[in-house]
Amino acid sequence: MDHRPILASSCAMAATAVEARFRIDAKPQTPRNTSVVALDEGAMAVVRELAGQKWNAARFLGCAAGADGPDGAGAGDYADLQLCTVDGERVRLSEELAEADFVMMIATEGRGAAAAATIGDACTLRGIMTAGLIVGTNGESGAALTALRPNARVLLVTDDEQDATELLAAVGA
Amino acid sequence: MLKQDVNELLTRTGPGTDMGDLFRRYWIPALLAEELPEDGCPPVRVKLLAERMVAIRDSEGRYGLIDEFCAHRGASLWFGNNEVGGLRCAYHGWKYDVTGACLDVPSEPENSNFFRKVKLTAYPLVKIGDVLWTYMGDPADKPPLPEFEWCLVPPDQTYTSKRWQESNWLQALEGGIDSSHVSWLHSAGLKNDPLFKGSKGNDYNLNDMRPFFEVVDADGGLFVGVRRNAEEGRYYWRITPWVMPAFTLVPPRGDHPVHGHFWVPIDDENCWVFTFDYLPARALTGAELQAMKDGHGVHNEYVPGTYRPLANKDNDYLMDRSAQKRGETFSGVKGIAIQDASLQESMGPIVDRSKERLVSADSGIIKARRKLLTAAVALRENGTVPPGVDPAHHRVRSASIVLPKERSFLEAARDAVSVIPGVPQTSV
Repeated sequence: MDHRPILASSCAMAATAVEARFRIDAKPQTPRNTSVVALDEGAMAVVRELAGQKWNAARFLGCAAGADGPDGAGAGDYADLQLCTVDGERVRLSEELAEADFVMMIATEGRGAAAAATIGDACTLRGIMTAGLIVGTNGESGAALTALRPNARVLLVTDDEQDATELLAAVGA
Repeated sequence: MLKQDVNELLTRTGPGTDMGDLFRRYWIPALLAEELPEDGCPPVRVKLLAERMVAIRDSEGRYGLIDEFCAHRGASLWFGNNEVGGLRCAYHGWKYDVTGACLDVPSEPENSNFFRKVKLTAYPLVKIGDVLWTYMGDPADKPPLPEFEWCLVPPDQTYTSKRWQESNWLQALEGGIDSSHVSWLHSAGLKNDPLFKGSKGNDYNLNDMRPFFEVVDADGGLFVGVRRNAEEGRYYWRITPWVMPAFTLVPPRGDHPVHGHFWVPIDDENCWVFTFDYLPARALTGAELQAMKDGHGVHNEYVPGTYRPLANKDNDYLMDRSAQKRGETFSGVKGIAIQDASLQESMGPIVDRSKERLVSADSGIIKARRKLLTAAVALRENGTVPPGVDPAHHRVRSASIVLPKERSFLEAARDAVSVIPGVPQTSV
C-alpha cells in the first residue's frame, strides 16, 4: 500500500478490454512432444483415429504384438517395452521417451495393466507427465481404471472418444 | 488451448447466442431474496445474460422480472413506484404487473382497452432458499424448479452471499472446477481462515502439493476427484461436482460448512458469483454465520451498500506485499474469494484461450468446456435438453474422504456424493 500505481496500465485496472489490446502477441506455445500409447486393441482403434488428425508434435503407438508386458531390464534400471507406431514401425519405450514431454495412455479394458505400469514407472523416472484416458464406461472400464490409476497422474473416464482429441489439442500436442 | 471461435461460442451468453440459448434452458439465480425484502418494496435493477430487467415484489408478495424499460418512451422502470398490484413508471405513469402486463395507461381515455395491448418481456422469479431464481427461456421448455440442497435445507442451516466479478462467467466457473490452485493460492487460508482451518484434510492438502486427478462423467456434469497421499496404503480424496452449466461445490473440510458457487453471467464481461455455505444436518453456529457475514471463507467484504467487493481492481485488491512476504497470504490479496477474483479478473474480461498453455492436470476444465460445447451444439442442432436441467442432477454433494488405494473414488463415495436429506456431509 506504500506505492500506489499512477497509470492505468500499471495497476489491476489494466484488466480491461481496452488494455487487453496491448498484451504481447507472442506465439503461445512450442509444441509439446507427446506420445499417445494404446494399451489394448480397443484403444488402438482410438489411437489410429487420432493419428489421422493434424498435430504439432504427437506420436501414436500401441503395444507391439507379442509384447504384452515388459521385457525385462532395458537401457536403464527399469523394464522396457516394445511399442509399435500406427504405421507398424517398432520402437522401444526407452527410445520413445527420450524426447517426450507428455505421455497419454488410452485403455478400454484392464489387460494393459503391465504395460501401463512399465510406462508409468519409466515416465516417473524421467519426470515425464502422464495421463490416462479410459474410453467407455462399460463393465471393462473398471478394470482399465484399476490398471491405470497408479500409473497416470491424471485420469479421464469418458464415453466420448472425442475427449482424446480435446485433451491433446488443449495441451498443444 | 481453444480455438477462438469456440472461445467465442462458450463465453457469449446474450440473446441469440449458442451459449445464451443453453443458459436459457436452466433456472438460474437472479438475485438474493434479501434484495426484495418485503411486499411492495422498491424494484431492483438486474442484468442477466446481457438483458436488462427490473425485479419486483408487488404488494401481494408476487415476484417478477420484467424488462427494465417502459414500453412508452423507454425510461427505466427502476425509478417507478411499486404501488398496489404493480409498478408504475415514474415518467408518465404507465403501470405493469409482475408478468409484464400493462395495467394502466393514464394518458388514454378512462374506458380505453389500449393497455391490454401492451406487455413487457417478463420472466418468472421464484424464491427458493435465500435466492430468487429465474428462467429466461421459452415458457414451453420451462423445467421443474431447481433442487440444489443448499436451497432446500432449513433456513438456519444455510447462508448465501453474492459478489460482482468483473470477468466473463467461464473463467470464473473454471476456477471452481480447478481445485489444484487451492494448495497454492489459498494455502494460507487453509491455516488461518475460521471457516477452513483445523481439519485433518488440510494437512493432507498441504503435505502433498502434487496431486493426482480423476475426471468422471456425471449425468448432470462431472465429478472431479483429486487424490493426495494419506496414511500408508490410503489416499485422501477431494471430490468436486460440477452441475451444468454453472454450479460447483467445494469439498468440505472437517465439520466446517460446505461451500459452493453458482456462476451467473451478467453480460459477457461480468458475472455474479452466488456463494453459499450450508450444512445438511445441523444449524450454522452464530460464530460461523458471523464469520460468513464478515467476509471469511468463500465470502467477502463489500463496498458499503453494494455487492461489489471492498477489495477490487480499482484499488489493486488492497494488495499487501508485506503480508505476502510474511506468508500470511500467497498472492498478497486477503480472502479466498478475492484471491480468486483478482487472478480471474487479471486474465482480462474474456480470457484469450487460444494463447493459454494447459496441462493435463487441467483435464476437468478441458472436459467441462467440451461438455458445454457439445450441449450447446446438440441444443442448436437437435433441440436436445442439456445435462443439468433435470432436478435429479442437482442432488449431488461434494465430499472429502480417505479411501484405501485400490478403491475407485466414485464407487466408494457414491453415497457421499448423493444428497440424503438430514445426513451429514462426508468430510475429513
